[in-house]
Amino acid sequence: MSQLQARFFTEYKKFAIDDVPFSIPAASEVKDLSNVINKLLEFKIADHKHVEFDFLVRGQFLRTSLANHMETENISTEEVVEIEYVQKFTAPQPEECIMHDDWISSVEADSEWILTGSYDKTARIWSLEGKAVMTVAGHTDVVKDVAWVKRDGLSSLLLTASLDQTVLLWEWNSERNKVKARHCCRGHAGSVDTIAVDPTRTKFCSGSWDKMLKIWSAVPTEEEDEVEEPNRPRKKQKTEQMGLTRTPLMTLSGHGEAVSSVLWTDAEELCSASWDHTIRLWDAETGVQKSMLTGSKVFNCISYSPLCRRLASGSTDRHVRLWDPRSKDGSLVLLSLTSHTGWVTAVRWSLSNNHQLVSGSFDNVVKLWDIRSCKAPLYDLAAHEDRVMCADWTESGLILSGGADNKLYTYKYGTCVSDAGA
Amino acid sequence: MSARGAAAERNSGMKKTTEKRKNREKEEQQQEEEELPMFDKNADKVGHLDDTDEEKEDLSDSEESVFSGLEDSGTDDDDDEEDDGDDDDDDDGDDASGEEEEEQDEENHNKVEKDPAAGETSLTPQTEDKPAKSRKLKKKKSVTSGGDEEEERGKSERDSGLKISSQVDEYEQDTSDEEDIRNTVGNIPMEWYKDFPHIGYDLDGKKIFKPIRSKDELDEFLEKMENPDYWRTVQDKMTGSDVRLSDEQVDLVHRLQHGKFGDINFNEYEPAIDFFSNEVMIHPVTNRPEDKRSFIPSLIEKEKVGKLVHAIKMGWIKPRRPKDSAPLYYDLWAKEDPNSILGRHKMHVPAPKIRLPGHEESYNPPPEYLLTEEERLTWEQQDPEERKLSLLPQKFPSLRAVPAFTRFIHERFERCLDLYLCPRQRKMRVNVNPEDLIPKLPKPKDLHPFPTTQSLVYRGHSSLVRSISVAPGGQWLVSGSDDGTVRFWEVATARCLKTVEVGGAVKSVAWSPNPAVCLVAISHGNTVVLMNPGLGDRLILSATDQLISSYEEPTEVKDQPVEWSLAEGTEHQQGQRLILTHPRAVKQVTWHGKGDYLACVMPDVSSNVQVVIHQVSKRRTQNPFRKNKGMVQCVSFHPIRPYFFVATQRHVRVYNLIKQELTKKLMTNCKWVSSMAIHPGGDNVICGSYDCRLAWFDLDLSTKPYKMLRHHKKALRGVAYHRQYPLFASGSDDGSVIVCHGMVYNDLLQNPLIVPVKVLKGHTITHDLGVLDVAFHPTQPWVFSSGADGTVRLFT
Repeated sequence: MSQLQARFFTEYKKFAIDDVPFSIPAASEVKDLSNVINKLLEFKIADHKHVEFDFLVRGQFLRTSLANHMETENISTEEVVEIEYVQKFTAPQPEECIMHDDWISSVEADSEWILTGSYDKTARIWSLEGKAVMTVAGHTDVVKDVAWVKRDGLSSLLLTASLDQTVLLWEWNSERNKVKARHCCRGHAGSVDTIAVDPTRTKFCSGSWDKMLKIWSAVPTEEEDEVEEPNRPRKKQKTEQMGLTRTPLMTLSGHGEAVSSVLWTDAEELCSASWDHTIRLWDAETGVQKSMLTGSKVFNCISYSPLCRRLASGSTDRHVRLWDPRSKDGSLVLLSLTSHTGWVTAVRWSLSNNHQLVSGSFDNVVKLWDIRSCKAPLYDLAAHEDRVMCADWTESGLILSGGADNKLYTYKYGTCVSDAGA
Repeated sequence: MSARGAAAERNSGMKKTTEKRKNREKEEQQQEEEELPMFDKNADKVGHLDDTDEEKEDLSDSEESVFSGLEDSGTDDDDDEEDDGDDDDDDDGDDASGEEEEEQDEENHNKVEKDPAAGETSLTPQTEDKPAKSRKLKKKKSVTSGGDEEEERGKSERDSGLKISSQVDEYEQDTSDEEDIRNTVGNIPMEWYKDFPHIGYDLDGKKIFKPIRSKDELDEFLEKMENPDYWRTVQDKMTGSDVRLSDEQVDLVHRLQHGKFGDINFNEYEPAIDFFSNEVMIHPVTNRPEDKRSFIPSLIEKEKVGKLVHAIKMGWIKPRRPKDSAPLYYDLWAKEDPNSILGRHKMHVPAPKIRLPGHEESYNPPPEYLLTEEERLTWEQQDPEERKLSLLPQKFPSLRAVPAFTRFIHERFERCLDLYLCPRQRKMRVNVNPEDLIPKLPKPKDLHPFPTTQSLVYRGHSSLVRSISVAPGGQWLVSGSDDGTVRFWEVATARCLKTVEVGGAVKSVAWSPNPAVCLVAISHGNTVVLMNPGLGDRLILSATDQLISSYEEPTEVKDQPVEWSLAEGTEHQQGQRLILTHPRAVKQVTWHGKGDYLACVMPDVSSNVQVVIHQVSKRRTQNPFRKNKGMVQCVSFHPIRPYFFVATQRHVRVYNLIKQELTKKLMTNCKWVSSMAIHPGGDNVICGSYDCRLAWFDLDLSTKPYKMLRHHKKALRGVAYHRQYPLFASGSDDGSVIVCHGMVYNDLLQNPLIVPVKVLKGHTITHDLGVLDVAFHPTQPWVFSSGADGTVRLFT
């Protein structure tokens, strides 16, 4: 059993080879196969440069020798093996290390700016190169989550949620570098731990320790909502408050414990994860709970990929779990990605690749996963010296992670950006 | 022996002491001396037969013979020497001779009483018959003499004696012992002769006539009146004559009537003479010279010995069987021996049977059994082990044509091998699965969720963390340390949000369980600080402050053991609100479930004020116990009912706060209770102790522990129940936290199920102290532990 019949194929036209079965040694590994393909390509294309390939056998990345892999995956060696090959993902390249004054609780980056929330009660805006641009100070307590709302030219809207039970809507002018609190969203009775802006960029949802989800308008206005809180002295409120008070459009209640993470799966649907071991899907228009996924542990974070329509969750154990939120046959976990050794506190799907996600954990490591290789992550990004608390992934292929070591790391990742659409 | 001697003997009764005997012997000797003259006289007359003596002998003998029954009984004992000599002489000559010898000896010893006996024995047999004859004579004489002889008895006796001596020869050869041979009618009723003038016939056939009886009634009466001997006159039926009984005869009748021996001389209590004593005599018992045969070797014996020697020589008999020196032990298991017949029967396995031949083995098999050419080839190619058939079926035209079976030896050999290899006995094996012996407890993995791994470490304290408490919402954790600080942590991120210096080693912290207020009680030194940490809902925080500030001084001020004061200045900014100054150091603070009452423990053996209960809203303090029942270790409120648990060193007392009485006293069986926790249901209590034990009490069951758990290696410092999950945990000086599943059922019949599920290690042991306190998260199955290494750890 030293030889195997294998047929290679790829989705990349550039690297396509003839569709004929080859007899290859069973003991060959990724490197050997990659050399074989390169040799073939050299015959076919005159000016071929050496490319590292990765190989998938029935949707699973090849990580050991071919014979070994097929034995563990229970694939018959009698028939011709279909092997797909893709250009190998290169390791993420560390770009910047941005120092903060305190723990970084949250990070969100768009194509130009990085917004981080910190335990020093401020949010900060950084350029992608790591230059401090702006410090957004106004909260009286730890900033727990931040979010960009939208950008109109030079002025941007951003949100910060804090332990002081408020969410502040800021307007930031990047040219003048001025930030102004437009609204103070009051209504939560606990620390606001998570916020998410809807795809239309007009509403946002917040989740809090008080078990509530609240939907707010993200459009800045000049009017102040009436607050029906008779026992709160109005005068005091005026002096302390940043911006105009805003009250929620809608309150979604149902969770039995603190809400830890919330996101919009599309314009009408909300998804929230909670400490009561459930993930709930809500209709954002009516405020009705649509379905519920039940886990066995506290959920710390969730992420949804519109590309593959999967939900990834990180919880207070060492697994990243993948869910299908639309499955009607119960709330089964599709896949568990196990490699972390601490609580998974951050998980984020790639915006461009429907197979890849990044996860951060209290074991100080950020891991890059390809769900086709569920046994082991693609790469471990072990730069942090303390617990990782947040991670993000921009469209441009920038991975960001912040943690309790006060550092925000950015990694450049994206070998096949140009081919992503293929 | 004299009658007096016998009488004396009787009087003295049965008891005879040697002294008495001696006395008696003395008496006898005296008596004998008195009688001696008579005997002497006798001795003198030995040669010519003294009459009186003879008569005397005669009389006594006749009496004996009349009452022969009595004589028989009398001879059992040692009779008079005379009797002995008389009766036994014929039977055993040796004895008599022996006695004679002895008598001789005794004679030598001047025993005078023997003399007449010696005289007697020397008499000839003829003289021995004398008494009987004399008796007969006497009777004859009495018959003939009639009533005349009655008055002079002694004289007649003498006469008869004389007669006897003269008529001795007449009845010499007559040895018959008949009573009266003069009347020959025999033993018949005499009434038959009532009407006849005669009464019978004598030897010659002549009639014996009745004496003439002319007496009528009057004569009878006169006789009765006048004759003084009338009372002793009887009629002899045989002769019809009246006989006057002599004095001796009357005496005899009296004696018989009183049930005594007829013989007056018979001593029934003869002293027993130990003839053969234990003492070794210097003289032989007999003087008889030894026989010759005692000197000559016995021929018969020689013959017998010769036979034995010959048999030994020939080996027919063994001289002596050698004693087997093997000790005699009883083999207890002899019957259990599997090789014994019974065992072999039980274990018998029959030998495997040989297979019966089938069609293919026939000399003329049906054609379908014959192999085709192809099959034959494959058969030949196969190994002998693989073949289905051990032989090739062959067809022969007739039985005659069948050749010898070539594989016979081979097959026999294989059969022998089969038998040789087949098992001889069944091996009995007890199939006990060792796992069946373990009591059925659910597996820990079926009891999820419970904390399994260390998830977060809350670092910041610089000294050992004595106490921790979790906010009722589960978002915050407070820890008090010996470094004089209290730290507030965010549970989910291990972020220290607030550090408060209180100025003294913090002994105990407790977060108020009331979710509507936010108060933390902190004890350090003599003071208990009520603190608003400023964490959580703003509304609640302001409500708490309002609650504190809205207090109004009561009109009448009661004297309280504790001083309440408001915190001011920096302390107020830190969050401290009320400061309670106690008389002594406060070791523990604990809240009532409603969050208004706060109990503080000030352990002191000598004081009555060890426990105080504060009411925060009214700022009142009361001392619930008047008496000191030992050093209080910790206290706790019942979660639902108005009970109060007080743990002293060895007991936990349960008080009813409303009735103000002791409801229960739990015996912990521990040396020193360190910590206590009440199940949220209120019916179960766990106590940790410094002697490594954890006692679970079911209050409904008994006051003794329902279960004792000894899983820790060192002293327990803290125990805790989970509020929702069936979990409890204990922290110990060995640096570990042990989490147990403790399911309490609503069904009263079902006892709690206690399964240890996890040992959680993480704390490093510092100064011999490991885990100092444990606390559960209020909603998640998470356990916090604080240790001497200055950390608080969260296990999930």
